[in-house]
Amino acid sequence: MENSLTCSSTPRWNSERPFLTGRFHQENKTTSRFAETKGYSIDSFSLGSEKAIGCYNAAVQELIVIDDLLSALVGIEGRYISIKRVRGKEDSFAFQVDTSMDLALQELAKRIFPLCESFMLINHFVESRSQFKNGLVNHAFAAALRALLLDYQAMVAQLEHQFRLGRLSLQGLWFFCQPMMGSMQALYTVIQKASANNFAGSAVLNLLQSQARAMAGDSAVRSLLEKMVQCASNAYLGILERWVYEGVIDDPYGEFFIAENKSLQKLTLQESLTQDYDAKYWRQRYSLKDGIPSFLANISGTILTTGKYLNVMRECGHHVQVPASENTKLMSFGTNHHYLECIKAAYDFASNELLNLIKEKYDLMGKLRSIKHYLLLDQGDFLVHFMDIARDELTKKLDEISVEKLQSLLDLALRTTAAVADPCHEDLTCCVETSSLLKRLGTFKDLGNSRTVPHGNDIEEPVSVTGLETFSLSYKVRWPLSIVISRKALTKYQLIFRFLFRCKHVDRQLCGAWQIHQGVRSLKMRGTAIPRSSLLCRSMLKFINSLLHYLTFEVLEPNWHVMHNRLQTAKSIDEVIQHHDFFLDKCLRECLLLLPELLKKVEKLKSLCLQYAAATQWLISSSIDIPNVEESSDGSLVSEKTKQYKSRSTSQVLKLSSSNTNVTESILNFEREFNAELQSLGPILSNGSQTEPHLAHLAQWILGVGNDQ
Amino acid sequence: MPREIITLQVGQCGNQIGMEFWKQLCLEHGISKDGILEDFATQGGDRKDVFFYQADDQHYIPRALLIDLEPRVINGIQNSEYRNLYNHENIFVSDHGGGAGNNWASGYHQGKGVEEDIMDMIDREADGSDSLEGFVLCHSIAGGTGSGMGSYLLETLNDRYSKKLVQTYSVFPNQMETSDVVVQPYNSLLTLKRLTLNADCVVVLDNTALNRIAVERLHLSNPTFAQTNSLVSTVMSASTTTLRYPGYMNNDLVGLLASLIPTPRCHFLMTGYTPLTVERQANVIRKTTVLDVMRRLLQTKNIMVSSYARTKEASQAKYISILNIIQGEVDPTQVHESLQRIRERKLVNFIEWGPASIQVALSRKSPYVQTAHRVSGLMLASHTSIRHLFSKCLSQYEKLRKKQAFLDNYRKFPMFADNDLSEFDESRDIIESLVDEYKACESPDYIKWGMEDPDHVLTGEGNASGTVDPNLAV
Repeated sequence: MENSLTCSSTPRWNSERPFLTGRFHQENKTTSRFAETKGYSIDSFSLGSEKAIGCYNAAVQELIVIDDLLSALVGIEGRYISIKRVRGKEDSFAFQVDTSMDLALQELAKRIFPLCESFMLINHFVESRSQFKNGLVNHAFAAALRALLLDYQAMVAQLEHQFRLGRLSLQGLWFFCQPMMGSMQALYTVIQKASANNFAGSAVLNLLQSQARAMAGDSAVRSLLEKMVQCASNAYLGILERWVYEGVIDDPYGEFFIAENKSLQKLTLQESLTQDYDAKYWRQRYSLKDGIPSFLANISGTILTTGKYLNVMRECGHHVQVPASENTKLMSFGTNHHYLECIKAAYDFASNELLNLIKEKYDLMGKLRSIKHYLLLDQGDFLVHFMDIARDELTKKLDEISVEKLQSLLDLALRTTAAVADPCHEDLTCCVETSSLLKRLGTFKDLGNSRTVPHGNDIEEPVSVTGLETFSLSYKVRWPLSIVISRKALTKYQLIFRFLFRCKHVDRQLCGAWQIHQGVRSLKMRGTAIPRSSLLCRSMLKFINSLLHYLTFEVLEPNWHVMHNRLQTAKSIDEVIQHHDFFLDKCLRECLLLLPELLKKVEKLKSLCLQYAAATQWLISSSIDIPNVEESSDGSLVSEKTKQYKSRSTSQVLKLSSSNTNVTESILNFEREFNAELQSLGPILSNGSQTEPHLAHLAQWILGVGNDQ
Repeated sequence: MPREIITLQVGQCGNQIGMEFWKQLCLEHGISKDGILEDFATQGGDRKDVFFYQADDQHYIPRALLIDLEPRVINGIQNSEYRNLYNHENIFVSDHGGGAGNNWASGYHQGKGVEEDIMDMIDREADGSDSLEGFVLCHSIAGGTGSGMGSYLLETLNDRYSKKLVQTYSVFPNQMETSDVVVQPYNSLLTLKRLTLNADCVVVLDNTALNRIAVERLHLSNPTFAQTNSLVSTVMSASTTTLRYPGYMNNDLVGLLASLIPTPRCHFLMTGYTPLTVERQANVIRKTTVLDVMRRLLQTKNIMVSSYARTKEASQAKYISILNIIQGEVDPTQVHESLQRIRERKLVNFIEWGPASIQVALSRKSPYVQTAHRVSGLMLASHTSIRHLFSKCLSQYEKLRKKQAFLDNYRKFPMFADNDLSEFDESRDIIESLVDEYKACESPDYIKWGMEDPDHVLTGEGNASGTVDPNLAV
């Protein structure tokens, strides 16, 4: 235990004169005496006992032995009973008796010696463990032992009284010592183990408990040990109590089984967005250490989270304390498991309280809904406007894009659309990433899907990446909501957003192409490539719409719905986090973001759509002479003009359709390529659909599988 | 305020349905009859600015132009409790107030006469919006003002705002009973030409079907205009929900239309709505699930266009595209299941030449309008059976034309002066080719159809150039 910093040092007077029992006194003497008269087992320090005991009558011998034994019982050497110590080892000693003693008496005396040794050891333990550095559990244990020793000493004093009255024989002494023998012996073994391993804290408690269990047959000893456990754990339970009731670690000697990593400070907003990817503060600030008391082992997780919850609330500036009453004192832990109930109650209280705090005061659902509005495009009108006004900026090259400008355009778009009613819309920020979505997914290793990783390298970045490929939104999440919406969760939202954003972009471009087709509506188109082109445009629109439809109404919305319902009934914040993470992972998987092969195909289709949309203007205007368009759209057609136009356009179209075959050719090319690519999706989807049923849904949407009529 | 839409309501019918439409929008957005936001309307998330703008005093004012050649309906609006809602500068009633006399040519001609005034109003509205998305025109095609002047406006808008979308809500006349407007076939035909050439999307509201629905579904023995108009306003407001209550998709008009309209000319949409109720009618409360709604939307009895097809032809008719806008508390997990069920039961007959499926848009329902049903649905669909409606128009026209009946009224106006009736013939040709195109859509070979040159391949249907050329010689 490196708690030298935290615990106060033992006062000097205590170390200089360590044992107020006075043992140091004899000890010093003994050592000095040993130095002078080495080899002599019999000492001559007391009462001028020059004579060997053997020269007395047996009856006298008995009296002397009893007298000596009574001293030995409280750790004092007698005239014919000496204590042999091993140098350097404070807790190892042996009692020796004068060999000239009557053998019968010797034998009886030797039987009592273990009790004496136990006393000595326990006494030593009590003395040494009372020092500050040994921790609260040891202190409490030592105090309990001291009380026991007091009883023991009182018994010895009574025996001595009987002795003085002449009523005590050696046999009697032996008889009276009997009840003590077992208990002291048991404590002796415990203490031996404890001091041999220098146990402290929960180890002591565990030792005591296991010993109590081991001695289950001896009810007296067992109850003694249980009492010891109870006394010793009192202080420990005090620490526990503060933790589960207040969320405070009041543990000066480092005995508690929950560690606080003080280096993990709650990060500021900016840092938590950039650094705290895994919500480290939440996960690692408090952790379980080794040495959980066995009686708490099963419930240690609950204890950890209880205090953690309380702590979070304190960090939020809420002083929450589990309401105390008589029953909630963590005292007894006999067979009734009262403490377990208390901890459970505290946990329920804390988790409820925190959940309420996060849900009510910090409006978790509101935030999630707001994120859904923007990052999952649940309220997509802002994006329509944003893409309108940011079109020029987004089509720039990566290093020419001004994020500040995009941000101001985004703010503008948010202010002028339905988003304005959402108070959270100001938390939305935009960012421009450095790589395209496919590349990003390749490097996104935390998806828990090893399949994505090997594909990371073989994705070639398109030559010119523009803002359209790399634009992304971000969302400011503040403590304590960042517990749920961690950086990692937000990244997953962003991945989905970027995918949707790209689809929306393709959709818009195709809508533009559709409008170009609409513009030539009043011309006679039959016989030109335009009808074919408009049908291709329709197929492409259908594809991208179906994809978007699948993503939103088949993946995002139902999964969100399920998560929303689960969150309503969630009992604790951990449950909330779990449901939220589950939702995101499911969405990522079902949005194809974990299937690089498929995603690449889809991207290919999208880029075909974009190429076509970009070429539409040219295709249409090469099919029909532009001056005609203007003329025909001249609203107030007099009949003469009409006829003129009619005749001209007919001949023109005819001429063009025969000469300008390469327009038709390129439209057919687009069509072939698009259809081939689309059909090649079929096998991939149907192969995958065995393991991932949602792919069958997608196939139904974009290929019309199962729609054969 | 991006992606605004300006509504033009022209003629008697146009103004009537327009008024109902604005009533409905006010209700749904919690806007009072005076244009002031109601106190309870605090829930955000809706887009009022697509159809309204806010005046300096925070009043919501519809982006609407009320245009008529006779004052009756507009006076009615101006004396109604909604009189303070509209921008009075946006109301146009012609000075003489004599109307168009149910004559398309008169309406068209008068439209030309007042073009400046009206375009000023439109320009002003257009300038007042950030990025105008397009125009919505409400009119009927049978009368004089809505059809004639509406036609003129369509041409002018196409000319002046060629980059903007034009969507119309066109009320087709009741063709089951003899109309008091005898020249209705002429008017319809001439208007249809403009709808074909100058609009991006036409939502067909067939009075025959509306009446049928009112009688059969709503059990009204003699439905009034107000009652059928409230059906129309329901459809109009429902078809704009994705614009007003933004969701994942279809948040702009172009996205909405592009997914529905396959080729430039086949832009006529049918609608269906369920559950149908009219104001103050006691509702039968039934359990409405997504599947129920979708299934009911596919039933012909809920569709607001009557198909005049014989059964054999009807079985050939195919859906080109369908968008179901479902409003209300919907369990989104049901959507897939419902579509699956409809697919399995083969409830929808789709075209064979391209991908097709039912698209679904889940949309919020206005929190301020209490309805007895949890879920309601609108279907917007492009269906080939709509050609029978046009065929009917054509045949009625032919009947009248053969008799040379009532043509004198038209010859009074410049377009038809000097007995030049080529406009009729041209319109007829265009409608005929439209019918042909829809018919071709029913065959799996439609893809090739467009590429074929009718001048080389004699199909006997597309005699467009054949009839135009003789006229040239005249």
